[in-house]
Amino acid sequence: MACEYGEKLILYFYGEAAGELKAGVESHLKTCAPCRGELAALAAAEDWLRAGAAAPSAAVMTAVLAQAANLRASGSFGFRNWTEALFAGALTAVMAVGFSLSARNTSPGLAWNSGLDSGLDSVEYSIYQAQAETSAAQTDWEYNSGLLEAEIG
Amino acid sequence: MLTDQELVTLFKQGDVEALGLLMERHKAAVYGYLLRLTARPDAAEDIFQEVWLKLVRRPGAYSEREKFRAWLFTVARNAAMDHFRRESSRGAMFAAESGAAYGEGGPPPGALETAVSPEPGPQETLENKVLAETISAAMERLSPDQREVFYLRHYSELSFREIAGMLGVPIGTVLARMSRAAALLRKELQKGVQ
Repeated sequence: MACEYGEKLILYFYGEAAGELKAGVESHLKTCAPCRGELAALAAAEDWLRAGAAAPSAAVMTAVLAQAANLRASGSFGFRNWTEALFAGALTAVMAVGFSLSARNTSPGLAWNSGLDSGLDSVEYSIYQAQAETSAAQTDWEYNSGLLEAEIG
Repeated sequence: MLTDQELVTLFKQGDVEALGLLMERHKAAVYGYLLRLTARPDAAEDIFQEVWLKLVRRPGAYSEREKFRAWLFTVARNAAMDHFRRESSRGAMFAAESGAAYGEGGPPPGALETAVSPEPGPQETLENKVLAETISAAMERLSPDQREVFYLRHYSELSFREIAGMLGVPIGTVLARMSRAAALLRKELQKGVQ
């Protein structure tokens, strides 16, 4: 049975529901066995993921830190003076403007499939955020707290 | 305790110890995420190293205005996707090695269990083992998109809004994927119990 509380239940389980939304889900859970089952399934899956916890080897950590130390020793990173910092800042600004003006007909969902240099992550992430916020404002009815509260009320 | 942003700032000024603290703070989450995606400890370590070296070589790639963990997982995800592209371009050789070429959603979850814990621990009861196998099989039934959101939420601990920003989709899409995943997991677990 499909339940209209699906998305709200997810927010509730992960601690992202508050106020009336949270109270509404808790009230709903008293009478909805499938939703209680979904909560139990989510808890089991989270436990399963936690049980698979692992850490990288010390060698990998050491290798990264050694490379950072080498670069530092060679003076290849870190701004040595204000002139250099200002120059780097200006260069970054020019690149960011150039990047934002360039034609990129790639949809956000395909951005990491585009073959573009993933070194542009920082810029891409900012663009994703801006796009997501815009599209969320237009189409994201599930997370419109006003609507949710109205539904619950 | 220094924030992530403060540590990055120190690192940009040449403090390598600050990088060490950052790595310690996030290593389990990033490596765990990469291991889930690749199901291969060697590949996960390679990508893990690649992710951090990106910060080492180009500290300016991260702006302190962003949440560091969101940036870190964006880089990790992109690096993992680059890895899958490289692997799939190797074609037959990779398929022969792994038994199957993984799609961009990563390998099926069952593949990871061998990588993470080749043998069950002595404390693991039969009941727990059966439950773990049931969940693993259930996770395998999820679509790559659903699994991806699941893994991102678990390991990054970012909010669904932040994950939506990272994936470039509306938050409703992310929540719908999770909701469908939860419904499917419930059904699979109920089947497993019966």
